[in-house]
Amino acid sequence: MNRLKPAAPLLTLLPAMALVPVLIVTWTGLHGGGLSIWQQFLLGALHPSLEPDLLQAVWHGLGVTMATALLSWSLSLLFGVLLGSACADVVWRSWSLPTWPATGLRRGLAIPRAVHELVWGLLLLQVFGLHPYVAVAAIAIPYSALVARIWRDHLDSADHRPLDALISAGVHPVSALMTALNPGMGTVLMSYGGYRLECALRSATLLGVFGLGGLGTELQLTLQSLQFRELWTGLWVLAAVMLILEQLLRFWRERSGVGVHGQRRILLFGTLAIVLGVIGTFWLRHIVPDQFSGLSWIGMEVPSWTQLNAAATELPWLRMILETLGLTVLAAGIAIGLPPLALLLWPSPRWHRCCSMFWACMRWIPPPLMVLLLLLSNRPSLAIGALAIGLHNSGVMGRLLLEGLQQQSDLRQEALRAMGSSERISWLYGLLSPQSPSYLAYGAYRSDVILRETVVVGVIGGSGLGWQLLESLSSFHWAAVVLVLCCYCALTISGESLSDRCRSLWLQS
Amino acid sequence: MTKPLTRVRKKGAVVLLALFCGQGATVLPAQAQSILRIGAIPDQNPERLNRRYGQLATELSDQLKVPVRYVPVSNYPAAVSAFRTGSLDLVWFGGLTGIQARLQTPGAQVLAQRAIDANFNSVFIANTSAGLQPISSIDGLKALNGKRFTFGSESSTSGRLMPQHFLAQAGVTPKQFAGGQAGFSGSHDATIALVQSGSYQAGALSEPVWNVAVKNGKVDPNKVKVIWKTPSFGNYHWVVRPNLDQRFGKGFTTKLQKAILGLAPTNERQKNILELFAAQRFVPAQESQYQPIEEVGRQLGKIR
Repeated sequence: MNRLKPAAPLLTLLPAMALVPVLIVTWTGLHGGGLSIWQQFLLGALHPSLEPDLLQAVWHGLGVTMATALLSWSLSLLFGVLLGSACADVVWRSWSLPTWPATGLRRGLAIPRAVHELVWGLLLLQVFGLHPYVAVAAIAIPYSALVARIWRDHLDSADHRPLDALISAGVHPVSALMTALNPGMGTVLMSYGGYRLECALRSATLLGVFGLGGLGTELQLTLQSLQFRELWTGLWVLAAVMLILEQLLRFWRERSGVGVHGQRRILLFGTLAIVLGVIGTFWLRHIVPDQFSGLSWIGMEVPSWTQLNAAATELPWLRMILETLGLTVLAAGIAIGLPPLALLLWPSPRWHRCCSMFWACMRWIPPPLMVLLLLLSNRPSLAIGALAIGLHNSGVMGRLLLEGLQQQSDLRQEALRAMGSSERISWLYGLLSPQSPSYLAYGAYRSDVILRETVVVGVIGGSGLGWQLLESLSSFHWAAVVLVLCCYCALTISGESLSDRCRSLWLQS
Repeated sequence: MTKPLTRVRKKGAVVLLALFCGQGATVLPAQAQSILRIGAIPDQNPERLNRRYGQLATELSDQLKVPVRYVPVSNYPAAVSAFRTGSLDLVWFGGLTGIQARLQTPGAQVLAQRAIDANFNSVFIANTSAGLQPISSIDGLKALNGKRFTFGSESSTSGRLMPQHFLAQAGVTPKQFAGGQAGFSGSHDATIALVQSGSYQAGALSEPVWNVAVKNGKVDPNKVKVIWKTPSFGNYHWVVRPNLDQRFGKGFTTKLQKAILGLAPTNERQKNILELFAAQRFVPAQESQYQPIEEVGRQLGKIR
């Protein structure tokens, strides 16, 4: 019997429905009171501050940010690939072992992933004090877990026939895995791994928590004090770095060939990742030499059972969880649904280039800045938070979608067009449809990230788990912190199993 | 074809191994140096923070003959924790964060404050379209019931703790604001901007920051005005870790206190430093001055 299954492109476009309630609320709350500040902000773009002191601080911050990003990126790729391989069923099966340890490890890895790097930073700071390596660890831990998940999903969903053939021919499992899965996984490593570097650069806001300064801190503090000209200096520098990185990665991807040549490039990429990590380490030690004092365990008070009980009864859990879920679902809907919808509007290369630029802007503007700008001309509401986080992440999703579409052959689209389909329909079914499963898979990972990012929108009115987490951290109320983090982990794990189930139900035949 | 490839792989493996070893070696702790680390809560724009504490570090280093570094921590609770874990030795804390830091670090001492910190005030501001009239007594805060209201940063004494306390005295809790909660703009400047835009109808912030914004023409008097000035409370103060005498020699903490109290507008650099702190002089401070804030902090759950 045939089960009723929605068409793949429909699933990709459906999340855009989240835009409807969000735009209605945003539209009704719109006002012009913040125009003068918007004007100041936009004028700041033309006249960024060029004070020598500031430029020097930004230059120094850039160095710190780059060094930390390189190091944490390198570590997260390394550990991500190792952990991801360890929790892939296919790896355990190759040794004819039961797969339950892989499942267990996979669930366990949801914990580091569920916690925002800022929170990791504050927690690690409690037990290790200020130390550059602790900052690096705070970025590398959630990122490794994220890379591990993506690596594992790709490993398990790859074509296993060559592998099975090699194993049954008596090849050693290590060689069999390397030979059979290397080509496909290499591409994943290079495309996704390259993109993670950009993430590591942007997330280095965390460095300020460790007193390392950095570009993110500069942006955060200039934003807090509404020094728009100084803010723009940092923003332009960030834009330049992101652009250069993007061009380098594109250059690298285009030059990477197929076959033996491609294999060698993948090996080179792996080596380069590690070399860059080592360079990052030395660079960091060179820039902030006197912050590398001994790293020792300091310890902290662990909340007792009675404290946990008290915290469990004093907080409005149901409301917080619902608000967080609402915010996440709306933001994820915008992030996932907006890019294909925008591309579908007008499937021409020129429009797609415009979209690509718009998404680069969305990725470039830090979420707190986006929330503040939106809030200046709107009433505070959950919708504003969802719109800000959603738009920022739609930049990421749009980039992944366009990249996927470009790497795909357009034979199907040609065929559909030749049969008389319109431009739009042939794009929808010829290009977007085959791309949908992997796009939706990235969408599921992105929802994880969005859930974590709900921490940053306290400005719209202390709402949800994210705000409660920051409030409890700033009150040093560890019992509440532990409970909120447990909620985050539970939400992440249930989100993961839900998305896995949906995928196997709808997208796989 | 296979031979050169294997060779490449073998070489690659050796290189990788060497790199791992190298990376491992650099993770070993470097030697501990005796550097006096100063910090502050991030309540200003970064450029001002850097100038303020950069110059202070140089001045203290010259006077005390020890290396002094400013460590720019960008998050309130991170500054408290860094002080507790011994990563910061001398920190310019706000009222609430200072108490949190001292409670978590037994033996930590209050060194000094500015004259205005003994009698610090917050102001409540309102957008003119919200129809809020100037308030004469604390009970007038009841008018904020049902309005859209924003605090500053979660850990701010003048932008959150004391305003919330005075609101509670008038019987207004954050649940009674529009939307069932108060906003947290993140900073005093953002509070002004958001109330001026009308997104929030009212807010509370530090009086000195408001005065500076008015002086610099950043406030549109037709759109936003002060409706109430709070009674005064103790705020910013220098807090120092207990173990400095062991690390830098006997009597170091006293010397450090003398150096801070001795800053005077007679010398060019000291004058600059005091200007950046918006202070005439630093004066001695007593722990007892912060007792009321501690009680408020406990009532509102900010001190556990």
